[in-house]
Amino acid sequence: MSHIRHSLQIRHVDAGSCNGCEQELTALTSAAYDFQRVGLDWVASPRHADALLLTGPVSDPMARPVERVWAAIPAPKWRIAFGDCAAGCGVFQAAYGIHGGLPEADLVIRGCPPEPGAALQQLRDAMQAMAPHPDHTVGG
Amino acid sequence: MDNPWIRQNVALKEAHAELLTVTATRNHRLQATWLDPASGRQEQVTVDVSQEHFPSLTPMLPEVAWDEREIHDVFGYVPEGHPDLRPLLRTPRWPDNFRPLRDQPRARPTWRDAEPDNPALTVEGDGITIMKVGPTHAGVIESGHFVFSLMGENVLNLDAHLFQNHRGVESLLEGQTIDAVGAMVTRICAADTVSHQTNWALAVEALAGYDAGATLTLDRILLLESERVVSHLNDLAQIPAGVGFQVAHQQALAIKEDWQRGLQRLYGHRFLFDTVRPGWVASVDPENLLRLVHAIGRSWTPWRRLVEGHHGFNDRMAGVGVTTRAEVVRFGGQGVVARAAGKAFDARTLLPLYQDLRPVPVLESDGDVRARFAVRIHEVEASLRLIEQAAERLRRQTTPRDAHWRPPDEVSGQVVVYTESPHGLNVHEVAMDRGRVLRYHIRAATYRNWPLLAHAVPGNAVADFPLINKSFELCYSCTDR
Ligand code: SF4
Repeated sequence: MSHIRHSLQIRHVDAGSCNGCEQELTALTSAAYDFQRVGLDWVASPRHADALLLTGPVSDPMARPVERVWAAIPAPKWRIAFGDCAAGCGVFQAAYGIHGGLPEADLVIRGCPPEPGAALQQLRDAMQAMAPHPDHTVGG
Repeated sequence: MDNPWIRQNVALKEAHAELLTVTATRNHRLQATWLDPASGRQEQVTVDVSQEHFPSLTPMLPEVAWDEREIHDVFGYVPEGHPDLRPLLRTPRWPDNFRPLRDQPRARPTWRDAEPDNPALTVEGDGITIMKVGPTHAGVIESGHFVFSLMGENVLNLDAHLFQNHRGVESLLEGQTIDAVGAMVTRICAADTVSHQTNWALAVEALAGYDAGATLTLDRILLLESERVVSHLNDLAQIPAGVGFQVAHQQALAIKEDWQRGLQRLYGHRFLFDTVRPGWVASVDPENLLRLVHAIGRSWTPWRRLVEGHHGFNDRMAGVGVTTRAEVVRFGGQGVVARAAGKAFDARTLLPLYQDLRPVPVLESDGDVRARFAVRIHEVEASLRLIEQAAERLRRQTTPRDAHWRPPDEVSGQVVVYTESPHGLNVHEVAMDRGRVLRYHIRAATYRNWPLLAHAVPGNAVADFPLINKSFELCYSCTDR
C-alpha cells in the first residue's frame, strides 16, 4: 500500500454528533497537532478523498447523504469511525432517530471524544497498515 | 386576542418577560413558562389541547414559530392560524402517523423509502439563482442544509433546514433513571455540556428540596466559566478563519488548546464531560486553576492586541450580518447575539448560583460581526476574573467540602431550570415520576438564534455567509437534539 503510506486525504461527514468530535478534528489541523505534516488532510470533495471519516451515531436524515459520499469516493477507499457514537457504542444508540454508527469501519477511533494526540497516532499507524478492503479494486 | 392563551402570553411578552419554554405536557396540555428578568420569578400559562388543536401564538409572537412547528411534528397538535406550518423535524421518511413524543410505547419507526429533504422556500424570478449547501460540507462542521436565493452575489433569502442531526434525545430520556440521565445530558452538546449538566443537577435538587452548599456552588461556577472560555476561544478562532486571517485563527486555537490541556490535567476531560451531577461536582485544588488562568493571560493579551490592532480585519467585520435590537427582542434572541445588539440579558444575573459574584452583562450596540467578536473578547476576560474570584473564595473556605448527596429514589414533580451557557439562555423543563423521567424538554439559546441568522444574512454578499455564520456560531446539536 505504498500509495497511501505518505498521504491520506479525508472527507469528513457529521451524522448526528454533539460537536465534541468536530472540535477535536479541528484541533488536528492546529499547530499543536498539525496533521498535514504527516500527509493527512481534509478534502472538500469526496472525489478527492481516500477515506470517509464519520462522526456521530448516524441520524436518519444523514443516512443517505453518508451513503452518497461513500459512493462518490473512488476505490481503493477506507471507512473511519471517529468517536464512540460513530463506533456504534455511544450513549444515544437507543434513540429513535439514529441508525447506530458506521458499519464495516476499517478503522475505529474510540473516545468521547477521542483525544487528538491519540487519534493522530492511530491515523498514522493505520496509514502504514491499511490494506484495501477485499471487495475494492485497487487502482494504479 | 380574546383567547386567554394568546392574551396571557402576549401580555407577558409586553411586560418584557423572557420565554423559557413552550411545549406539550402530559394530559393534553400545552404549557408556556416565562421568566421575569426583574424579579427572577417564573409565570406559567397553559392551554388544553384535548381537541388536538390550539390557537397559534406565532402571528403575535414570531419567536415561537419553530416551537409550534415542533409541537406539530412530535405531538401532532395543530397550531391553528400558524402562517408557516411546514415540517421542522419531520421528514418525508417519517411514517404517516409517527408522533415520537406522543405515541406509547416508544419505538423506532420503520422509515419510509424516501429522500429526507423537505420542500425549500425560495425566491422566484428572472436572474435568480438557487444555491443549495449541505447537508454534507467541504470542511469539518456540523450538518445543516442551507438553501440560498441569490441575485448575483447578493443573498435575497436564506432558508435553513436544520435537524439533520436529530437524534431523538428527548424521547430517549423518557423513562430513564436519575443515574442514567447524566451521561446523556452531558452529550447533548459538547460546547454547552456543563450548562446542560448543571441544569439537570439543578432540576433534581429543586425537586428533592436539596440546597447545594457554598462550596459545591463555587466549584460549579469554576466549571461553567471554564466552559465559556473554551467555547468563546473556539468561536474567536473561527471568526478570523471566516476572512482568511490565519495567524489570528491559529493563535486562538493554540490558546484554546493550552486551556483544554489544563482542563484535561485538572478535571480529566478536555470539554468537562461528566463533571456535574445532582448533589455532586468535580472539584480541583483552586490553586492549580489560578495557575492556569495566569498562564493563559500571557498568550491572550498579545493575541487581543493583534486582532484589535488589525484594521483590515476590523473593517471586514464592521457592518456585516447586522441583527438589530428590535429583531432580537421580537425573535427572543439570546446570548452573545442578543448582547451584541444591545439587549442587556444574561441569565447569570438572575441565578442564585452566582451569589454576589454576578457578572454585569457585556453590551455592544451595532449587532454586526464586529460587535459579536467584541462581546466574546470581553466575556472571556470577565469569565477569567470570575474564575479567579470563585477560586479565591474556595481557597479561603475552611469548612470541608460538602459530602456527596444522593437524590432520593422517589423524586417526583415538574420544574423549569436554566443557566447561561456559552451560547445564551439554556433551559430544561423536567418532569419526574418516582425517580424516573416522565418528560424532558431542552430549549437551548441557539434554537432562538437560528431564525435571527436567517434574517441577518439577506442583503449581504453570499461570500460573507461563512463569516456571519461563524460570528453567530450556533450549534446544531443543541438545536437538533
Ligand atoms: S463520541 Fe462523544 S464527543 Fe463524539 S459525537 Fe458522540 S457524544 Fe459527542
